[in-house]
Amino acid sequence: MQSNLTFHERVEDALQNQTLHLALDRATGRFTSLRANAFASFADNGDAIRDRARMIRAHTLSRLDTYLAQFADAVEAAGGHVHWASTAEAANTVVIQIAKQNNVRSIVKGKSMVTEETHLNHALESAGLTVIESDLGEYIIQLAGETPSHIIAPAIHKTKEQIGQLLHEKIGMPLTDEPSKMTAAARAKLRDVFLNADMGISGVNFGVAETGTICLVENEGNGRLTTTAPRIHLAMMGIERLVPTLHDLSVMLQVLARSATGQKLSVYTNLITGPRRADADGPDQLHVVLVDNGRSRVLGTEVAEILYCIRCGACLNACPVYQQIGGHAYGGVYTGPVGAVLTPALYGIDLWSELPHASSLCGACREVCPVRIDIPRMLLQLRDEGHRAGKTPGWLKLGLPFYRLAATTPWVFHLGAWLARTATRLLAAQGWLTKLPPPLSGWTASRDFPAFAPRSFSAQFKRRKNHKGTAFTK
Amino acid sequence: MADRDSILNAIRQSLTTTHLPEAQATLPPRPASVPGLDSGALADSFAREASALGVVVHRPQTQAQAVETVLKILHESEPDEVLTWSDDDLPLPHLNDFLRAENFDPLDPLVPVDPIARQKKLAELARAEIGVTGALAGLADTGALVVNTSPARSRLASLLPPVHVALLSVRSLYPTMAAFFAAHPDSVREASNLVFITGPSSTGDIEFTLTVGVHGPKTVHGVLVP
Repeated sequence: MQSNLTFHERVEDALQNQTLHLALDRATGRFTSLRANAFASFADNGDAIRDRARMIRAHTLSRLDTYLAQFADAVEAAGGHVHWASTAEAANTVVIQIAKQNNVRSIVKGKSMVTEETHLNHALESAGLTVIESDLGEYIIQLAGETPSHIIAPAIHKTKEQIGQLLHEKIGMPLTDEPSKMTAAARAKLRDVFLNADMGISGVNFGVAETGTICLVENEGNGRLTTTAPRIHLAMMGIERLVPTLHDLSVMLQVLARSATGQKLSVYTNLITGPRRADADGPDQLHVVLVDNGRSRVLGTEVAEILYCIRCGACLNACPVYQQIGGHAYGGVYTGPVGAVLTPALYGIDLWSELPHASSLCGACREVCPVRIDIPRMLLQLRDEGHRAGKTPGWLKLGLPFYRLAATTPWVFHLGAWLARTATRLLAAQGWLTKLPPPLSGWTASRDFPAFAPRSFSAQFKRRKNHKGTAFTK
Repeated sequence: MADRDSILNAIRQSLTTTHLPEAQATLPPRPASVPGLDSGALADSFAREASALGVVVHRPQTQAQAVETVLKILHESEPDEVLTWSDDDLPLPHLNDFLRAENFDPLDPLVPVDPIARQKKLAELARAEIGVTGALAGLADTGALVVNTSPARSRLASLLPPVHVALLSVRSLYPTMAAFFAAHPDSVREASNLVFITGPSSTGDIEFTLTVGVHGPKTVHGVLVP
């Protein structure tokens, strides 16, 4: 669901939002240092393991049809049901059908990006089903009727006093500002939900092709409860989230939790293979919904590499743009550097041409990515696509030919530089210009422009040479 | 199966025009495994890593002492209800008999299929205050307990009660997850659920204050059984 505001309006909103800034500072700062510490425990800072993780993802995607078929067959051999959904709507429809066929009325849910991508909750509620989010941060956000401010810590923009007040109002908890008491209250309330829900819906961190296993990674235990207590477990999975073998899974798991939260392993790494057998407990039915929704098409493009992503969130935390504007400004489910590529890739550059420009191409994302995805390369690729689709703004289309002229004609260049020096020094406030008249406003709409130095480099160079005999001594 | 074929065909089609950096026809050989650490070193590493994560690690000298350790943990809180695995699945012979002798009568963990009976049973199991399980293995590099299901191995025993006591044989320690998978290649395929547990359940969702005991257990005891 796209916001009614333009990208620039959403960015302006984000920049004005003090609460959001507090949350982003807390979250991104914390996660970047946790990640750094976790990788420092490797002798080579994790280079070798990340290289291998990248190779595993690349190899898997290069044979995705084979591995996906192997995975689906293995899930079925273990007693699970596999459903193939080409679109988001098809995925939601399948879930509703399964729910109806099994007299499901209440659903408990673990955190899953792909279910947000398909807007599953909304579809389920429209079909008359109750859906409760069980991840604590997501539960808080759901009670508040808000959207998450950060992918891993969705409620981090709220103070503990605010959360205490919210839980007091919504679930009758005695008023407190102690996180342990709040967690205990949420635990008690959600326990009822887990133990009485008809269906549990989860995402999938990795599917393992050789055994038909679903790997689900979490810290709170809500993932385990969601996939154990209700009689039906439904797992929704993007078709690209596969690894060939358990050994490959062990490699991916070495980099996932370290990249996301700085842990060596999450508290619970669940490996689910089929529904319950002659077991004491567990779900009687397992349904895996494989979601394409544009992934097979992206696979055929120059930006197929974005499908290597394992959804750790490290690129978000490292990105100077994300650190300033947060998730909402991106306008879609996938935010930060990965979102700036994935959203236009999945939904078309026509609607999303601004996202690839929301970057200084600093490469911090590529530095921290556990599978070394070259996001800057793909941002440039998408900027080019956007240009070919006629999305380049007028001021840039006009301005670039002028710049080309100046750059190839020295006297024009020097005249232009002299004019710019004079003008910017007159107009700048504290060394920066934040608003220029059109058409230059195209630049200052999203970037500040620095005032030029009083003397050009060549003038300074000449001066020093004349004074000191060489330009290089101070 | 219309969508299966259409999705697989779309993938095949895309693979003719794809650009996948670093993609190779086969994966490079797996790195040589770490030279075998002796069981003492593995136990020390496991104990250190697990303790750092908040697991209470016990290293009794004998099996008899291990039984005493378990009973001591139970007597600390005198639970009204407990959940356990059957004796065949625990590394301590006859542990359930010892528990019954101390008036700890384990609940029947079997959850019925009928929906109404299921909910009733789940509510009953939720009253358990301590869960005693075995562990298929322990991982020395991360302090992880490897817990799998089978007909008599209740998943909920290590999940619902606020206290989880895991009994792990010292002979079942592995240096890494990869080493464990290499030693037990069918363990995942043969169980509907296998979980790696590294400590009590936790969250930092409220102002990053680490809170322990969220939906899973609040206290995890790891007893290394000789």
